[in-house]
Amino acid sequence: MRIYEELFIVKPDVPEEEVDQFVEQLRTQLTAAGATVDKVEKWGKRRLAYRVDKYREGAYVLFEFTAAPDTVKELERRLRVSDMVIKFLTVRIDQTRKRLDKRKKQRDKRAAKRAASAPPAPATVPGAPQSAAHAAEAPAMPGQPKEN
Amino acid sequence: MAEFKGRPGSAGQRPTGGDKAVVSQKKQYFRRKKICRFCVEKMDDINYKDVKTLHAFVAERGKIVPRRISGVCAPHQRRLTDAIKKARNIALLPFAAQN
Repeated sequence: MRIYEELFIVKPDVPEEEVDQFVEQLRTQLTAAGATVDKVEKWGKRRLAYRVDKYREGAYVLFEFTAAPDTVKELERRLRVSDMVIKFLTVRIDQTRKRLDKRKKQRDKRAAKRAASAPPAPATVPGAPQSAAHAAEAPAMPGQPKEN
Repeated sequence: MAEFKGRPGSAGQRPTGGDKAVVSQKKQYFRRKKICRFCVEKMDDINYKDVKTLHAFVAERGKIVPRRISGVCAPHQRRLTDAIKKARNIALLPFAAQN
């Protein structure tokens, strides 16, 4: 199972109820195929950056779901066939999330380490907590570009 | 001599900076104004849906701003281009400016 994100644009002249209906339909189809829909987000009408099928604006809908690769294929086919969808984009996000989590953990760990190691050095200074906080923040910035 | 060796970049690239030894440290900092925004803000996630951020790295004509101008570090630029291209695909950003 992988986590995916599906962003698609619905034609602006489609009534709201129909869009809702379509979204519901997709949701039931996804769950029927063994996927779990984590999030459905409707962004509403937005101006498109360029003209798509003679439309200058469109209603964006965002799906977030956990599914097997085959399910995504089926979903994409459905979106392609559908008359009201003018554009869609599928992004796999579980790997990105994993990377981000790892990065965040590393960052937290480093911050904790810095906070732990900072007090001994400026221990003679009366304002220890202040300087510790300062030391934790200050070296992080020049150090960053090199690490990346 | 040893001091000179310490910062060969400033001494070599900018001859005027050489005689202002006292200011040089500050000057070096000043000249290095191009700093990766994502590193400074500790933004790991460059998302294609975040159009506001991406807009800052797209030129007027819709082109991706090169690293040498924006100062973004290489890993972040890679992710940034990725995000911009995804955003273009779903019509959040233009491929090219209109008209």
